[in-house]
Amino acid sequence: MSQATVTHHHAHHFASADDEFEAAKQGMWVFLVTEVLMFGGLFVAYGTFRGMYPEMFHEAHKMLSVPMGALNTVFLITSSLTMAMAVTSAQKGLRSRTTGFLAATFLLAGCFLVVKYFEYMHKIHDGLLPAGFFTNHELTNPKAPLFFSLYFVMTGLHGVHVLIGMGLIAWIMIKNQKGYFSPAFYTPVELVGFYWHFVDLVWIYLFPLLYLVS
Amino acid sequence: MSHDKHHGNDHKGGGHHFILSYKSATLVGLTLLVLTAVTVGIAGIDLGRFNFFVAMVVATIKALLVALIFMNLRNDKLENGIIFGASFMFLAIFFVLTFADLFFRGDVYWKEKGQPFPPIAGVVGKPKFKKAWNQTPEILAHGKQLYAVQCVSCHGADGKGDGPAAAALIPHPRNFHSNEGWKNGRKLTMVFKTLKEGIPGSGMASFATLPAEDRWAVAHYVLSLNGPAEKDSAADFAKIGVDPNKEDAGGSEKPTIPVAVAMERMAEKDTIRVTTIRRPYLMKEGTAEGVGAQIYRTQCASCHGERAQGGVEVKNLGGFPNTIVKTSPIGNVDSGRFQEVVLKGLPGDLMPGHGEFSVSEIRELYNHVRTLKQ
Repeated sequence: MSQATVTHHHAHHFASADDEFEAAKQGMWVFLVTEVLMFGGLFVAYGTFRGMYPEMFHEAHKMLSVPMGALNTVFLITSSLTMAMAVTSAQKGLRSRTTGFLAATFLLAGCFLVVKYFEYMHKIHDGLLPAGFFTNHELTNPKAPLFFSLYFVMTGLHGVHVLIGMGLIAWIMIKNQKGYFSPAFYTPVELVGFYWHFVDLVWIYLFPLLYLVS
Repeated sequence: MSHDKHHGNDHKGGGHHFILSYKSATLVGLTLLVLTAVTVGIAGIDLGRFNFFVAMVVATIKALLVALIFMNLRNDKLENGIIFGASFMFLAIFFVLTFADLFFRGDVYWKEKGQPFPPIAGVVGKPKFKKAWNQTPEILAHGKQLYAVQCVSCHGADGKGDGPAAAALIPHPRNFHSNEGWKNGRKLTMVFKTLKEGIPGSGMASFATLPAEDRWAVAHYVLSLNGPAEKDSAADFAKIGVDPNKEDAGGSEKPTIPVAVAMERMAEKDTIRVTTIRRPYLMKEGTAEGVGAQIYRTQCASCHGERAQGGVEVKNLGGFPNTIVKTSPIGNVDSGRFQEVVLKGLPGDLMPGHGEFSVSEIRELYNHVRTLKQ
């Protein structure tokens, strides 16, 4: 076990390091509540329009690539696994192993965004864009642009979360290498882990809702 | 998960932090991947509407695995579980209320410029009653029909001032069964005046957009609810500018609509809001009139159309002269739902409740309505 080279002192307004950890964790849960509600609004919009135009959703979803969506699901779930392992390694004080798992998580997130990039390019090429930018002639349903409005806003907001997640992972990876974390203090690793698992959790719903419309 | 352990912290405070073993994490990760394969596999099989439910159940199992094990919510403080769980509770409320509204109201759509208007039943603007201040059974019946559309929401189905909106109005809407406290007097001409001008400072709106004869009809009806009204003198008629010797129901009254409505109407030159409410039935010609048909003709036809083609007369629409309300199909309604709708009405739509009907009358009406279906 490597010892931290930078010792963490809990802030003076906390009675102990444990208090600080619990408060930070609770703050993260509260933040995730706001995230649930932000994505929730989009899911309600999705449900509303799918309820109104079920045939359109069925027709429009066929323009999305299930293999690409499934591949991205595999990337994100695997990255959640490596993130969980990174937290375990940090808790055990295994510094280089933590860095390794964080790097794997970062790479998998990158793979997700690369696949997403190709998907987006393909949609743009086919004119499958939101609302007024929609120029595709293959889809006959006049409401079809609505599906792509939802697709781009929902996956776009999720994609922004992935991007922010990558930034956070890179940040804790550097801090970890500098020796900020130890079994006594690994709060940022655990909380970035929370955030990352939440990003995975949103995608778990987005994938069947957008790519697998029955 | 025997490999998981609580790790004693060696720092001050000495709490116990749960450490997820690599093995357990891997097991969960593999389970999530298998469940993803299940989701994709099942989507290829046609299970009808069950596809959606299976996909959502599998997604929720995956989400629970992530939250409970990866995010370790199962070992976290109860309050954190409650905090996170509360967000899903509020999300559920959001879903339920939105969908309750979405699936249980009529469609609202917009009439585009150049498109024809939806057909409207009934005669618009042609007076039906001469000297409408003279009470006849016909005008009373007409007043009752208008009352059911225009007044029930505040004054209640029985005129007791206890409609669904009454509780929110201070002063409370008039109880027509009491002779006390009529602000403008309990006279036909004064009720007519109230209907035209409203009562400023109260919830009583102006119904100047109703044709004068319709206001006379409503005035007759509300006064009929409780004993004879005071007689109107020639001076009373003069006060509202009506000459009772002429046939014109409105006297010198020019048709008016409120300024706000007129402005709204000018702004909406190209699009006119059309609210579709409920079902058009087509009546078979030449059927002998039974109890159901009689009820239909007297109670339903004013909105659903004389020949059941649907539609409400524009002039009956009071405060919303630029709104056209027409009736549209509600699909297959069973007798139980039909009875409920007839008894309670459809709050939020203009469909008033008819609690005065007996169950057997509603059954007759239901049977009649079935014969009207296309």
